[in-house]
Amino acid sequence: MKTKHTYLFFVFFLSSQLLFSQIDSRVWYDGNSRAMFYRDALAGDLKKSDTTSARSNGEGYTAIDLGIHFNPSKEIEIFSEIRIKNDFGYMWGSGAYVDLRRLSVRGILNDRVSFNLGDIYLKQTEFTLYNNDQELSKYESSVFQSYNDLINYENFYEENYWRTQGIQSNFSYTFYNAIKSLELDGFASRVRGNQWLGKPELLMLGGSSILRLENNIKLAGHYINSFEVQSTSNDSAVYKNPVFNIQASYYKKINNRTYSMKIEGGSSLRSWKKTNGSQQSIEKSQGGYFKFFSKARTKKSTIDLSFKYVDPNFRSAGAQTRRVIYESSPSSYPYFTNNTVLRPVSLMDITTDPNIYNQRLSTVLMNFNPQYGAVNPYGEATPNRAGVSGVYNYIGNFLTGEIKLNLLSEIIGQGTANKRSLLSLGTSVVVRLDKVLKTKNKLNFEISSYLENVSRDGNSIEEIDFHSRLLSAGLSYELFENLKLISGIKTFVSIGNEVGTERDEYDKIIGYSLFNFDSEESIQLIGLQYNFTDDIYFSLQTNTINFVDKMSLDKELKLTRIYFMFNMNL
Amino acid sequence: MKYTYIITTIVSLVLFSCGKEGLEGPNLNDLYGELNIESTLIIYGDSVSFADQEEVFFSAEFSKIVDWTIKITGISSQSEKIISGKSNSINKNNSLWAGDVTSLPFFSSEDCSVLLSFKNHDDSIFDILNISSQKIYGNGKEVLISDFENGFNPNFTNFFQTTCLKKIEIGNAGEGTKFLRQEGTCDWDWLIGYVDYPKANWYQQEVLSANPDNVYFNIMIYGDSTLSPTNEANSLFKIEFYEDENQDNYYDPNSEDRLDLEFNIDWNGWKMISVRYSDLVLATDPNGGGVNGNAIREPNKVFKVRTLLLANPVSGFAKADVDYIIWSEDSPILEQ
Repeated sequence: MKTKHTYLFFVFFLSSQLLFSQIDSRVWYDGNSRAMFYRDALAGDLKKSDTTSARSNGEGYTAIDLGIHFNPSKEIEIFSEIRIKNDFGYMWGSGAYVDLRRLSVRGILNDRVSFNLGDIYLKQTEFTLYNNDQELSKYESSVFQSYNDLINYENFYEENYWRTQGIQSNFSYTFYNAIKSLELDGFASRVRGNQWLGKPELLMLGGSSILRLENNIKLAGHYINSFEVQSTSNDSAVYKNPVFNIQASYYKKINNRTYSMKIEGGSSLRSWKKTNGSQQSIEKSQGGYFKFFSKARTKKSTIDLSFKYVDPNFRSAGAQTRRVIYESSPSSYPYFTNNTVLRPVSLMDITTDPNIYNQRLSTVLMNFNPQYGAVNPYGEATPNRAGVSGVYNYIGNFLTGEIKLNLLSEIIGQGTANKRSLLSLGTSVVVRLDKVLKTKNKLNFEISSYLENVSRDGNSIEEIDFHSRLLSAGLSYELFENLKLISGIKTFVSIGNEVGTERDEYDKIIGYSLFNFDSEESIQLIGLQYNFTDDIYFSLQTNTINFVDKMSLDKELKLTRIYFMFNMNL
Repeated sequence: MKYTYIITTIVSLVLFSCGKEGLEGPNLNDLYGELNIESTLIIYGDSVSFADQEEVFFSAEFSKIVDWTIKITGISSQSEKIISGKSNSINKNNSLWAGDVTSLPFFSSEDCSVLLSFKNHDDSIFDILNISSQKIYGNGKEVLISDFENGFNPNFTNFFQTTCLKKIEIGNAGEGTKFLRQEGTCDWDWLIGYVDYPKANWYQQEVLSANPDNVYFNIMIYGDSTLSPTNEANSLFKIEFYEDENQDNYYDPNSEDRLDLEFNIDWNGWKMISVRYSDLVLATDPNGGGVNGNAIREPNKVFKVRTLLLANPVSGFAKADVDYIIWSEDSPILEQ
């Protein structure tokens, strides 16, 4: 009954709005749409041995995210995005939902100061506020784009911005002297609201100022403070995490080449003030960081070299929060084997499942699985890392490529005086075969790899020798205009041992998990994709998914999947 | 620009060497490493005379920080002392022993087994330690009511049901060699029996302090709830303290206070019950007296102590042997 009323309301609301939009141009609409369906079927040995799991399962839905923009004046826009979602397999609205997905007001005051209220997207620097990409996502073929789009869209991941609620404002002022311009930006957001008998409200304040000088020099300062409000809860511990960042950068053009360099540094304080009766105590850690970055760019290539030092006690909730939650229950076959074991999050879930992703900042370092990313699990701001990185990019007429190398070391050993040495090497190449072979139809070939090596000396308990390798390849061939035959493969191998950390509620290491890895995973894909535009396409594909954990023979999963997605982003 | 890369390289090399000393988190070897005994257990102060304030300590060294326990067991008394710690070495600072006890009875002059064991490790080391004279408890202000070493004082008036037992036993005492055995079954009354310990008949006749915050009553009780038919705590023990407020050598329930302590005997073996006089409760039964006095706790005016063994007549059997009934000042007797 309630659902029916919702529909009636919506029909009246929408029809009135449609009429209104026809007579008043101050209201306009846009929207995104998606139809998605997948069906997984057990295959391989597990199909015979696992007699408790369903032989196949799947789900799908259609969703329309209708954006309504209302401009009461030329300076103000009110934007709401309403999601209408209908799960497949239900009738008469029982599996249908109408949700408010986004609501914001933005405008400009006096043609100088812009503001944004409600749902806002925030990003500063890689050390203060930055939504780092999920592991293994950078080095994959574009034929997996439909999965990536799904994950990013459903989790509000827009580039590396964090989506939150609050107010943001900025303005810039242009000078005509040694100072070219000044930009100021500030925000206040509520990261976590009131929780019944739970933690206090978590708020976040921050600001940036950028000063552009003559002679191509830029100075910038960033500040962010995440803190809990004690009066909003009976919890005895209250969190605070201010982080500072200052930057200076310079660039110069010489003979069609651009050279630039940037130095940045800063510090963080992270504390929990605990109250026990009349007694107060503080759990506090302080740490700093430093990064030097230089870049040389020509018409076809760029070379980056950088060095960073991030103290073991550097903590930044805005920059160290991870996307993947490894404690999640995966959507497809969350339990498997006759022992009904919870299936661990694996490459398949990282690549395809939007439900294992996080949308909220975390006040402690989230768990990570070193198997899928041990070198920089918390992005560039990963604490306890020092070392150099280099990136080479090439963009040619029929070939583009990238090589990225990280050579890092721990600053202080974890559980031992010996320190980890960490290496990652990522390479990717895209070849426009149609240009090489001079064929009429588009033919793209992509291949990429990502390697991680972690080592540590010591006795049999302390020693670490871990290697992982991701190989990804994709081929797309245009059968006729806009319709492509796509095929791709991702294989991931991890072997060796690593040591994970167990932390208490105040982020202190209290124990370790000794991991031994010997696993192989792969996702194979073949299908058709029709692109109306770059952001509007449908993809019909079949996948073969393999997961074999050789350390535990009963942990083997083989699935075949049929996957369909229609994606429309306007 | 060439200089940029030279600077980068130099800065990298400099900062690469900027490692910190120490480690983050608990030591891996302590959690997962093998335990090796680097230096075996040594007892310092064998044939110790605790009565002369001598002390014993132990030494040993291990390859990692570990939870260790030294269990000292009197071979004849079966008394126990547990010393434990978490470290990679045992030394005087963490293993000094002055002869006190963790589990009653008291140690006597005897040989003791010493067993060093470790949490989560099967390794253990065994040795023998001799006690030439046991620790004497007290700070000189204690007042002994009775330890039954001279038998049962006939002036300790008492009553026990005909089906119940009150008897001095020799051997397996909490202190010394003798104790008072009290047990039995009474299916018509809660009372198994009681014993009065009038002040005039206490073993020591020193006057107790008047400060109730400073005076402790101590009694050693042997419980054995496994003897109960239902294998559960069935014995109820009550101690009554009668004050002669007007010092006329007579307790008048109409004008003087009685203070009580009551508890279940829910343990097996000897246990020392110690209670501060100021923590005793005033008796609330008007017929039993105790509510008509000045309601001031006055340990220096205690006229008589009565111990009662009670049990539900339905579930029958009860047992509570007693030994070493003693007043102490400043702290419970076992802490002295």
